[in-house]
Amino acid sequence: MILSIARKEFRDAWRDGRFRWAAGIILVLLGVAVLMARQQIELGRAERAAATGMERDNWLNQGQKNSHSAGHYGVYVFKPVAPLAIFDRGLQPFVGNTVFLEAHRQNQAAFLPAQDATAMRRFGDLTAAACLQLLAPLLIILLTFGTLAGERERGTLRQVLSLGVHPRSLVIGKALGLGGALGTLLLPMAGVGIYALSRIPGIDAGGDDSWLRLSLMACAYLLYLGAILSICLAVSALAPTSRASLAILLVFWAGNTILAPRLASDLSQWMLPTPKLADFDAKVQEAIQKGLDGHNPRNERLQDFRRKTLEKYGKKNVNELPFNFQGLVMLEAERMANEVYDHHFGELWDQLEAQDRVVTWTGLAAPLLSLRSASTTLAGTDFTHHRHFSVAAEQHRREFVKVLNEDMMNNTKPGAHGGVAGRELWEKLPPFRYRPPTFAHAVSVATPGLAVLCLWVVAGWAALFFAAGRLKPN
Amino acid sequence: MARERAAWLLVALFAGALGYGLWNGSQLAKRNSEATTAAEENSEKFLLQVRQHLSRPGQALPVRNIAGYGSLALLPPAPLPGLATGQSDLVPGHENVVLWKLTAPADTRSELENPSHLLAGRFDLAFVLIWLYPLFLLAFLYDLMAGDRESGTLRLALSQGISPAGWLCRRALARALPVLGLALGATLLAGSTGYELRLAVALGVVLVYGLFWVTLAVAINAVSTSAAGAASTLGAAWVALVLVAPTLINLAAESLYPTPSRPELVAVGRQASGEAEKRGNELIDTFYKDHPELAPPGRQADFMAKRLTVQEEVADAVAPVLEKFDTQLALQQQTVGRWRFVSPAIAAHEALTDLAGTGYWRHRAFRSQVKEFKQAISDFYTPKVHRRQPLVLQDIDRMPTFTFVEEHDLEWLSRVGKGLAGILAFSAVIGAWALLSLRPGRLGLVTG
Repeated sequence: MILSIARKEFRDAWRDGRFRWAAGIILVLLGVAVLMARQQIELGRAERAAATGMERDNWLNQGQKNSHSAGHYGVYVFKPVAPLAIFDRGLQPFVGNTVFLEAHRQNQAAFLPAQDATAMRRFGDLTAAACLQLLAPLLIILLTFGTLAGERERGTLRQVLSLGVHPRSLVIGKALGLGGALGTLLLPMAGVGIYALSRIPGIDAGGDDSWLRLSLMACAYLLYLGAILSICLAVSALAPTSRASLAILLVFWAGNTILAPRLASDLSQWMLPTPKLADFDAKVQEAIQKGLDGHNPRNERLQDFRRKTLEKYGKKNVNELPFNFQGLVMLEAERMANEVYDHHFGELWDQLEAQDRVVTWTGLAAPLLSLRSASTTLAGTDFTHHRHFSVAAEQHRREFVKVLNEDMMNNTKPGAHGGVAGRELWEKLPPFRYRPPTFAHAVSVATPGLAVLCLWVVAGWAALFFAAGRLKPN
Repeated sequence: MARERAAWLLVALFAGALGYGLWNGSQLAKRNSEATTAAEENSEKFLLQVRQHLSRPGQALPVRNIAGYGSLALLPPAPLPGLATGQSDLVPGHENVVLWKLTAPADTRSELENPSHLLAGRFDLAFVLIWLYPLFLLAFLYDLMAGDRESGTLRLALSQGISPAGWLCRRALARALPVLGLALGATLLAGSTGYELRLAVALGVVLVYGLFWVTLAVAINAVSTSAAGAASTLGAAWVALVLVAPTLINLAAESLYPTPSRPELVAVGRQASGEAEKRGNELIDTFYKDHPELAPPGRQADFMAKRLTVQEEVADAVAPVLEKFDTQLALQQQTVGRWRFVSPAIAAHEALTDLAGTGYWRHRAFRSQVKEFKQAISDFYTPKVHRRQPLVLQDIDRMPTFTFVEEHDLEWLSRVGKGLAGILAFSAVIGAWALLSLRPGRLGLVTG
């Protein structure tokens, strides 16, 4: 019985011209989005590879110069493009893609791509994720709002129930049939996506686990669309008329997709305010000068360090030490500053991640928020991935500054602020090779979002079963 | 009764959304204003200290002490920041111009923002007016006639001798009035002193945009046979015009005219800087040959002089890439400008951000004026650096200062006017189609 109902619903769905048109349009938009994204990713990767090569040459060929000057000359590193950005660009337009690594200072990633765009960008991007998150639910609403309410209005529900069909069987059959109709759309979508991803040569920011991430992303989207389908059917079963059903579902859709993201951002900002830039910079500078506790001035700490070093080597004057003390002081000063940066940047990034978690859990009221969180994490385009890159860039900075300061300490005259060095020293700094977070990291960050989606599926189907139990022909 | 309750609920929700959008926008504007005020105060404090120091007899300061601190280029607060956030949370509202960093990429931080919040977008007044305002209008207007047609009361109503078009339009306007009124009222509250003309035009944009949706609702109702059908069609129109069309046009603009990558700009600049540094002495010699009046005693250039000479070489190398940035962005904006008439949402959004002063045009003007300011800074300090002249009190008075020049009213009026004309033209076409569809013959009301 259930299968008969499912087959009938499946056929009816595909016979509905509106469904075919809407589905066709969404497929075309999705195809365009994926193919354009692939082109942009390939271009982006080529540009970054070229810039990385040029920058490495710049560093190696800077000629003979004072090694301390080389520390200020610095190195630029560029954030790689995640291959799964082909589906979900996530935060990519809104985070910097270039970090300047220099002595004495930790810089944030600069050059947000959105800054080099028109104001139209604030309307959002046409991506595969946007098509599935915003447009696919509308398709489901179109397909389902009149499924049960419409049958009630036409009088066919009374006839069906009078034949002895159990309401629950009717509802499950309809869900299977309509789900099958939607599922047949997802197959070409998946095909386009797999084709586009497979054409991206090599593996970049997604690591070797792009396919694992993609599979889990697909599961997240199936959970989301499955939850939406069950909710739509439940509303159609409970609403007095198809018009009321449509109105309720459109309000749900508008609340979920248009209002919720902005309201949730405001909520998280209200609960965990982002510090002002001027205050952040001032705190960092103060901590560098006065210590993390604010009571340990830098000069005094360095004097103390000098005294301890002289004691350790049994010398009375720094010029008697078996190395250039200036180099050692630079290493110690960098260590002190790095403690400050780790503390303050760590606090700032923890705050931003906590804000994102608030938004994810607000998904209990609007499933799109949890889906978006899981989707961007699995695509490698969320804030945790950006933080991972920023930390890796900072580690590279510390390594390169250490190389220069150790050279100053061991290979220059006492008291000198660096000596003239050349390619031999520059080559000691290895090129920056970034390894993105593992699949395990992505799963652990995406878990809350996936859990909320599972809750929505359970709640949606529970609501559907409840509605089926109350299904009446009047 | 239930319908009346629902209507009041919708009105209350819309008023709430407008109020929240206004409040949110004002908070962001306040935060931006505080950031620029803080930057301005720091700059003034520094200059005061410099003046006090140089006021003492015989005092002078090396150029690097002042030029190294930087000169502030400040974009004043937007004319109507409460109307639209635009790009103001994304692009910096000030730039510190440092003599030896004129070609270095500018510090792009305006304020600390969670990138997830930038992705989600702002719940400001423009968001309510562009995205939600049409939805609330359509909620009141989706069933102007279809329900009456279904129930058979349409024929009865029109048998009184009223023209269908007139009846429908009056009904539509009466139902839309509360929403139109609230939208206009909220826009009025976003006004600022001194920008009454901009506010008046903004009111016009909000009214014309609202009337577009009213016209569309009338047209769809004229041809729909059921209320659900009308609602679905209007919903689809909203999705197409507000969600899909803007993203498609954005995609087209960015694909046709992609901006160069910043990594490319950085790498080119660094390569030029590296090569120029190696040729440092040769560059300096050539420079003093071309500018003998600037040569120091013995033609022995110091570190700063060499650095400035290298900077000029770098500026020449990166100029083509920088120009390509501006050109491509301008072409993208032109594409948006040309295609905005496809969707009134785009035209209205462009108009509102333009009027608010938080869109592309004002920031472009700021970047252009900062470029000129950088040249002025270079022209002022470079001769002193080469001649090794310190700065005295009189130099502080002659130092270039940045004053942003707002564009003439006619310029933004022209842009916004074209956008408004486009929306009106689109509305006129739909209105004409609606009138044709509302002839009694077409409605099946003529007998005999």
